[in-house]
Amino acid sequence: MDNQNNNIPLILNENRIFIIRENITKADLVSKLVHSICSDLPNLNEEEVLSSVLKREQGISTTLDTGLSIPHARVEDLDAFQAALAVLPAPIKDDYGLDVKAMFLFFSPAGQAYFSGHLKLLAALAEKFNSDFIKELSETNDKGLLLKKVSL
Amino acid sequence: MNSDPSAEKTSRFKLKGVVVMTTAMLTFITFWKAAAIVLCDFGSSAFYAGSIAMKAIGPAFPWYILAIMIFAGPILLMYMEACSMFTRGGIFPVVKAGLGENAAKLATAAILFDFLLTGPISGISAGQYIVGFINSILEFLNIETALTGDGFSILFAIAVTIYFWYQNIKGIEDSSEKSSRIIKFSVMVCAIVVVWAIITLFIKDDISVPPIAPHFNEHSLGWAADIPFLQHIGIFGVLMALGHSVLALSGIETLAQVFREIEYPKIENLKKAAFIIFVFALVFTGGLTFLAALIIPPDLIATKYQDNLLAGLAMNLSGPTVFKLILQACIVAAGAVMLSGAVNTSIIGANGIMSRMAETGILTDWFRKIHPKYGTTYHMINMICVMQIIVILFSRGNLYLIGQAYAFGVLWSFVFELASIVVLRFKERERKRLFLMPFNVKFDHYLIPVGGILVVIVVILLALTNLITKQVAAVTGISFAAFFFLIFSVSERLNAQKANDIFEEGHREKLNHIKADTLEKALSTLSKENRLLVAMRDPDNMYPLDAVLKDLKDDDTDVIVLYVKPVEHWRIGKREMAKSVDENELFTNIILTAEKYGHEVFPIEINSNEVFYAISQVAIAAKAKEIIMGVSGSYGAHDQMERLVMAWGVLQNGQPHIPMTARILWEGREVSYKF
Repeated sequence: MDNQNNNIPLILNENRIFIIRENITKADLVSKLVHSICSDLPNLNEEEVLSSVLKREQGISTTLDTGLSIPHARVEDLDAFQAALAVLPAPIKDDYGLDVKAMFLFFSPAGQAYFSGHLKLLAALAEKFNSDFIKELSETNDKGLLLKKVSL
Repeated sequence: MNSDPSAEKTSRFKLKGVVVMTTAMLTFITFWKAAAIVLCDFGSSAFYAGSIAMKAIGPAFPWYILAIMIFAGPILLMYMEACSMFTRGGIFPVVKAGLGENAAKLATAAILFDFLLTGPISGISAGQYIVGFINSILEFLNIETALTGDGFSILFAIAVTIYFWYQNIKGIEDSSEKSSRIIKFSVMVCAIVVVWAIITLFIKDDISVPPIAPHFNEHSLGWAADIPFLQHIGIFGVLMALGHSVLALSGIETLAQVFREIEYPKIENLKKAAFIIFVFALVFTGGLTFLAALIIPPDLIATKYQDNLLAGLAMNLSGPTVFKLILQACIVAAGAVMLSGAVNTSIIGANGIMSRMAETGILTDWFRKIHPKYGTTYHMINMICVMQIIVILFSRGNLYLIGQAYAFGVLWSFVFELASIVVLRFKERERKRLFLMPFNVKFDHYLIPVGGILVVIVVILLALTNLITKQVAAVTGISFAAFFFLIFSVSERLNAQKANDIFEEGHREKLNHIKADTLEKALSTLSKENRLLVAMRDPDNMYPLDAVLKDLKDDDTDVIVLYVKPVEHWRIGKREMAKSVDENELFTNIILTAEKYGHEVFPIEINSNEVFYAISQVAIAAKAKEIIMGVSGSYGAHDQMERLVMAWGVLQNGQPHIPMTARILWEGREVSYKF
């Protein structure tokens, strides 16, 4: 399960990648990404999952100074990691006033055995999505290419 | 400040103002060095205790000196129990906890009396040994002149006191290495003397074992001469004889002061140190005094070697005079450095005790006044040294006179401290003790300290006997104790508000704040193979540091203790900044925790607007193998760990990962993650 979470193509697909050019709030963006994942996984209760993500957002910030926001939740009815990505060429502000230039939202299975993988994914995303990489993503208009870039 | 300057330019998370906290309280020493420090004071009494006891009780003196040195064993065990309860021992906190504040003031006055006489008696004794050696040389060269010891001894004692006054004003650095060398040299000299003396015992045929029955003179009987019935009670005679020999125990209390400095594992090392102290003192003071009494003709003990007994032992061994002179030179050298060291210890000890009184608010700020250049408590040091010089001048170099008075401070400080240890068994029976004085009987919820009670009874009997037999000690000691009790009480009243504030605030460690230009510079003094980073914030929650230090077995790890101070003006957007804490209280508690286990820590403070970013950056810069932190009451361990791994990830910059484990600890639970 540790290896699977870092294999981006296994947890993310083109349908869950968004290039957001319109003005949007962070909460709406989170809802949009949650919805995209739940659309693929009908067994998930979208409302409950969204509530979990937003609840986590009330805790220690998931936004980094690089402009990456990583909302996430550990979900009971899940047996594999699932993710969605939004790239924002025009940054939005998060609740703390930090710029959000990319949002990588993911769900991880709630079991304790998955927690290590959950942390590993957070660390890997934080490392990969540095300022230069996010700038590179924001200049990319093709979802397939975006998936390829984040999967490398 | 950032390890990677380019990251600092683009990052909104800031890390500035690295401050390394240093204090003399953060160095720890081996059990051997701890024993050496104690022995430089305690062992130095070997040079004069026998002579003084001989003048008081006659030829039986070696038996009583030996008995007193055996009695040092139970006293050391009692002190070990006190140390296991009070890491920062010293007489005041122990007696205050056991018998209350007034008793603590009296006990402190008694031990101050002890310290004020330790300097003069040691300085004068060293002078007497030097004069004795010069006379031996003159005799060897057939020069019919002999120096009289008292004048030279007075000058020597004053010179040594002034020398150490100046050293203490300047601030003496760690002297444990010097003490260690002195004791190693003394052990070597002692071994040579013992072997040579045993050979002499086999060669000489006029050896006679000293009598056990003491012979008192009018002076050593004191007021007991006017109480005839006491002279018919055998046990009283034994107590009197022991009372005249008890000054050999002087310096043993240094163990309580040095315990704070002993390295991990503290109690195990304390046991080893106490064992070395006991064996060395028994052989050095008890053994050499006994051998001196066996080998030196009684008429010479009472005359020529009355103030330099061990030198007399060297000169009365069998063998060529030249070799005996060399051995005497070695004994004089050992004596001069040990006794001079004891002068220094007495100044440090008295200053330390008065500083503790000042810290609790009992003494006014005048006493605590810090020297503008050297940062030492110069008013107290001046006062102590002036009083010691007055004692030297008034005594006119008479060792016996000072020795008589000296026992008062030694015994009454024992009475208060040891009685407190016994009382605390009942008063604070739940208090954690890592060592117990042996011979205990369990009764109800109490562990009755039978052994401790017996020791206290003996000490009280000796102290009361000395009050009757030692007029000089009783008059000067009681006057001095009353005088200092008065000073403490008046000063406390004048300082009442301050004392109350100090009580409310609790103890605060004096810390040097050393600013570093870069994180790398701040960490450059770390030298051990492994590093752990412990992030601390709450002064009332030392659990993470406690857990780390408790389990730290090897001495190959630097423990960095980091406080990330939130900086309000670097606030990002609406981000809620954690409130800063009383950093002095935090670092004081960090130091006290480090002392408890005897592990060195490296406390640093960093200003930042992002705690986890700062923690990760310091851990990466230090190449720490572990990051340890406590749980946040606001967020919980999982959220904290998530933020920490994110911050760690941001800081990697594509560099090869250094294996690191993050641990969040609370109440026996742990969340960990291996990067």
